Amino acid sequence: MSVEFFLGIAILVIGTAAAAFPRPRTYLTRLINLEIPAWGLLLIMLSFDETLALLTFVAVTAISTFVIVRVVERRNAA
Amino acid sequence: MEGIYAFGLLAVFASIVIGFWALVRENDDLHRILLTDLAEILALALIALVATDLAEALILPGLVVGISELMAISEVFLVREGLVRQPDRMLQIEVMDSAPGLLALALVGYGILLSGFSGGAVAGIGVIFYFVCKGHDERFALLETLSGYAWAMWIVAFFIFMLLPQYWFFGVLIAGAAILLKVAGKMSLVGTMRGGANV
Repeated sequence: MSVEFFLGIAILVIGTAAAAFPRPRTYLTRLINLEIPAWGLLLIMLSFDETLALLTFVAVTAISTFVIVRVVERRNAA
Repeated sequence: MEGIYAFGLLAVFASIVIGFWALVRENDDLHRILLTDLAEILALALIALVATDLAEALILPGLVVGISELMAISEVFLVREGLVRQPDRMLQIEVMDSAPGLLALALVGYGILLSGFSGGAVAGIGVIFYFVCKGHDERFALLETLSGYAWAMWIVAFFIFMLLPQYWFFGVLIAGAAILLKVAGKMSLVGTMRGGANV
């Protein structure tokens, strides 16, 4: 099996730990750490040739980042 | 192949346990929303391990449902916490001043090249990014007009498929261009969510 798969699984597990217990525990840190398991998922999708799912996941992640940043900045301003 | 699948499944389940443990220990609601995003990624990884066309067919609606759910939850959160008023000072990152023009141009150009649904998504991301970073004037009327034309093109393509099937390729091109406009226009509305003059 491919290198991408094992790399993806490793990054997914590490990233999950990083996003679950971020340090310092702020919204922005957690949001940035969330990108790590997303990368792992992308590598897993890449290893299984799931092109369409991969591209759509990239697009949706971009939108969800905008949505979350909007909430975070209003929360921080309040 | 079986061993690989079992190994992947084990790793993803371990991550799910970590994720849900963090979710249970969390008290802050916004942190919980962020952890829900993590849970979504892990669920998608679980599906991706199926590794067939079935996985793709399951992931695509999962993504769409996930993003709409996130939007709804964030709106509910904002209303419940009473954060509907505009903050005076927005989050400012330097890349948001320098990047938008070039990046939006590249994304929209590549989106038009791709055409169809994926092209619309890519071009839409470019427009969203530009609107979010640079602000926007209210040009919703323009977007509505664009959407109307896209709808008309869609119908024309449909009639070509039905009445003149030998020109199917022409119909495919029209439909691809129409859905590009439609998806890009709809997605660019997301970019205006950050607030502005009349939003």
